[in-house]
Parts: sequence; C-alpha cells; structure tokens
Amino acid sequence: MIPLSHFLFISACLFCIGLYAVLTKRNAIQVLIGIEFMINAAVLNFVAFGRFDANGGGGQMFALFAIVLAAAGVAVALAIILNVYKHFKTIDPVKTDTLKD
Amino acid sequence: MNDLIPLISSSINDTLASLSHFYAEIILAAGFLLVILADLFLSRRFTQLCFLISLSTLLLLGVQSVILLNTKTVFLFGGMLKLDHTSILFKLLFCFSSLLFAIFIRYNSPLQKHVKGTGDLFAILLATLLGMNLLAMSMNLLMVYISIEMVSLGSYLMVSYISADKAQTESAMKYALFGAVCSAIMLYGISLLYGFTGTLNFNDPAFINALKNVSGLSSGVAISLVFIGVAFKLSIAPLHFWAPDVYEGAPTPVTAFLSTAPKIAGFAILIGLLPVFQSEGGQTNTQYFDFNVILAVLATASMLIGNFTAIWQNNVKRMLAYSSIGHTGFMLMALFAFQGSGFQALIFYMAVYIVMNMAAFLIVDEIEEQTGILLIDEYKGMGKSNAMLMTTFVIVLVSLTGLPPTVGFTAKFLVFSSAFEAYRNTDSAVILIMIITAAISTLVSLFYYFKIPLNAFLRNSQIQVMAPGNSPKAYLGLLLAILLLVLIVFPSVIVKLI
Repeated sequence: MIPLSHFLFISACLFCIGLYAVLTKRNAIQVLIGIEFMINAAVLNFVAFGRFDANGGGGQMFALFAIVLAAAGVAVALAIILNVYKHFKTIDPVKTDTLKD
Repeated sequence: MNDLIPLISSSINDTLASLSHFYAEIILAAGFLLVILADLFLSRRFTQLCFLISLSTLLLLGVQSVILLNTKTVFLFGGMLKLDHTSILFKLLFCFSSLLFAIFIRYNSPLQKHVKGTGDLFAILLATLLGMNLLAMSMNLLMVYISIEMVSLGSYLMVSYISADKAQTESAMKYALFGAVCSAIMLYGISLLYGFTGTLNFNDPAFINALKNVSGLSSGVAISLVFIGVAFKLSIAPLHFWAPDVYEGAPTPVTAFLSTAPKIAGFAILIGLLPVFQSEGGQTNTQYFDFNVILAVLATASMLIGNFTAIWQNNVKRMLAYSSIGHTGFMLMALFAFQGSGFQALIFYMAVYIVMNMAAFLIVDEIEEQTGILLIDEYKGMGKSNAMLMTTFVIVLVSLTGLPPTVGFTAKFLVFSSAFEAYRNTDSAVILIMIITAAISTLVSLFYYFKIPLNAFLRNSQIQVMAPGNSPKAYLGLLLAILLLVLIVFPSVIVKLI
C-alpha cells in the first residue's frame, strides 16, 4: 500500500510546479495550465485525505466539486483571453499593459 | 454501504425541513431562471422586462430578509449553512447593493446600447447574489469554496461583459487570472485544513480542537493559504494590486458593484472563518503564528497604501479604487473588538459605505456620459456648468472622508471607538499603531478627495463644457447624498436593524 506521505509529496510538487508556471510563463493559456496544476494538487490532497474522513466521502465529494468548478473557471478565462487576443493580437500578460499607475 | 441506508429517510426529512428556511435563495434562483427565459423569448418585444423581473426579485428578497431579521439561529442541510441574525444582515446589505446596481445598469447608456443587451447581465447579477447569500451562511469549507467561486465567476463575467476596448478586456484578463490563482491557493489551503482535522465542517468544535493539536507552523501555513483567497476578495494590502486596474477598466456600474457587494461578502466569510483563523490562541505554539497581529499589520498597510497612492491618481475611478482599499483597511479595524461594539460598527460602516460608494460612482458615470470627462484635472469649471451634480459629489466626498454633517462621520466614529475598546482590552501596541495610522490616513484622504471640488469650483477652464440635462442616475445620486445627510440625524434607522 502506498503511504499517505507519498501522495502529499506529489501534490506539493504539483502545486509548486503550477505556481512556478503561473509566475514565469508569458502566455495567458500557459498560466491557466499552471492554475490547473495547482487545483489538481489540491484535488489529489482531498482524495488522499478522504480515506481518513470521520464521516466518509467528504474529500471525494469536494474533489468532484473542485474539478467541475475548475472547468467552469477555465471556460470563463478562455473566453476572456479570446477577447484580449481580438484587441491586442497577443495574449502575453506582460505586453497587455494599458492600465497602470 | 448498507449501514447508510437507515440514514436516508432522516437526511431527506432534514433537507425538506431546511427548505422552509431557504425561501430567499429559492426566490433568487427562480428570478435567475425567469430572467434567462425572458431574455431568450421576450427581450425583443419588452426591452426592459429583464430589468423589471430582477428589480421585483430583489425587492421581494429584501422584504423577505427584513421579515426574517430577528430569527433564531438554524442550521440547514445537515450543518452546511447557518441562518442567523448576522447572515441575514449581510444578505440585506448584498440585496441593497444589488438593487442600486440594477438601477445603475438600467440608466447606463454604454451597457444599454450594447448589442447583446443587458438581459444576461441581470442574470449574472442574480446568480452572483445567490453566491454571496450562500457565502454569508456557509458553515462548511465545501460551501465556502463553491460560493466564493460563484461570486468570482460572476464578477469576471461582469467585468468582461462589454469588452468594447483594450482596457476592458485587459482588466478582465488580469482579474480572471489573478482571481483563479488566488482561489487555487485557497483550495490547497482548504485541502490541508481538511487533512489536519478530518472534517469540512468548520463550525464543529472538533475542527478547532484538531487544528490546535497540529504544530503551529503547519496550521499557520494552511490558514495563510486560505486567508489569501479571502484577502483577494477583500482586496487588502498585499493582494490589492488587481483592484485599481479592474476598477478603472470595468464598466462604471460594474466597478460600483465590485467595490461594494463582493467586498462585503469577503467580510462575511472572514467573520465566519475568524474562529478558525484565530484558533492558535491559548496554545503553546502561538509564537509561530498570531493571526490578530497579521490582520492588524495588513489593515495598517492597506490604509497606508490605499490612501497615499490615491493622492497621485488623476483618473477618478482609479482614485476611488485606491480609496476603497483604504476603506477596507479601516473596516478591518472593527474586527478586533468583534465580540463587543465592533460588530455593530462594522455593519453600520458597510451600510454607509454602500451608499457612499454607489453615489460616488453614479455621479462619476453621469459626468462621464454627459461630458466624456474622467480625469480630475479636467473637472475644472464643472461646478458652474453642472452645479447640482457637483454639489452632490461634494456631499458624497465629505462623507467618504468622514466629516460631519454626513453619516460618514458617525460610521468612522463608531469604528474608531470600537478599535479603542479593542486596544483597552488587549493593550497591544500593534492595535495602537493601527489606530494612529487610521487617524493619519483619514487626514491624508482629505487631500485627494478635495482635489475634485477644488478643480470643479475654484478653478476655471478655457473650454466651456455645456452639460445636457441630468438623467435619472443623477437624481438617484442626489437621493443617496440626501440620505447621507439625513442619516447623521437618524442613525437609529440602521442601528435598530442591527
């Protein structure tokens, strides 16, 4: 049987990879992929911890909801990115900088 | 599996019993569906049907909340939600803000002229309001996450609704990406909290006890991660930098809404999670993580950054964005005496804040539609060409600063006195510094708020701006400004509800 710590280690790695992608990638869709990594790290945690739930099923349930909400969030973000491309002809968050102090 | 079967009938009974306390949300969901249907089939013939449906839904919701105001605490849906006096007060605030927002949309010409029409915007508004109502009631981390996402997704869609120019799409993208990162971080924090405690119900005493048994470092990390998600909604200091861009780029009615309702929803969930965040108190491992100190430092930083950066802004919407960051820091002060007078002070401040901010944005939008002016420098001579609008604006700005004879003074006074109470109870130096910062930043706010009347009344411009007649939006702003003047004499109207 695989111990809990292995799952936690993998999910921590996933979370860090995602955060790294979010901070360094200069393409809005790659940033979204990073966000997806972070959400899935949390989902992995939920499923792993769900085995030890007092009432059973809480973690699995949360994982399902998190996956659905992540999909909804990505759909909205992609629509917005499409609009950005129409106006700027680029989806580099660094180059879209008309608003600043 | 078989041992769960006897539970089915009792859980069905619980759900049915809960539904009778769930009318407000059922009304909202019904209104949401009606708006979508009306927009699909009837919007050609009756252009304002969606507006009328949402308006009546919101009025019905407000009346329903007022009737339920003094209800006793009930737990709904197996402890998922808690309906009590506090949550109903928050629902009333959300409802009030949404009502003003709906009227604002009705009289905003860029939104009205938009090809898609405003039907979808009203549907999004009702769905977002549903999310905020659930957020104010949630007692379970799953519910917190779902409702925060509901509010966030609705807000992203509202900001990107028109997408008419570069600034609007850019602000929407910044908001959506930054918001998604913050909610992903929050989700990871929630998963850690779940791992430490084995339950998602944070109202459960076992949750707090289990959290206290974890080492301070680990629980501190998990709590900080969850707090990042809440702080994003509140737009306080380290996570504030999306706010000015989004407020400037978004359509003005949306900015007015974003600066009030979702921010207050952030406070609602912060109050709900406060026992979890403060769970370190009284244990051996407090030296790692003291949430109260962190909150005080962040409140101080928000007040400083918000108010001092606002001085350099020339765009009115951006200036109001920074000032709203400062106001959030100010509202956080009331949380330190939350068991005592803080609660009343906070709710009072929020109610007044909705009126002030909505009125300010209504007038900014009216000026922009009449003359196309959005920069403070160009307000020169406006006091002569449109005296009524500018006088209203001055009353609102006096109230935002917190000076008599407006109710902004009463609100600031209540928060200050509750913060003093917190200082007397704890003798903490951090709270003292926070109070002093609040006093200084109130003084600083005079400079940037009064740049507007200075330009409008005391300086003349070569270009004579001829303003056309005022729209109903201007009169709504005037009504809210009069409300600000009247409420200082009769603050009991609000206090009685609290």
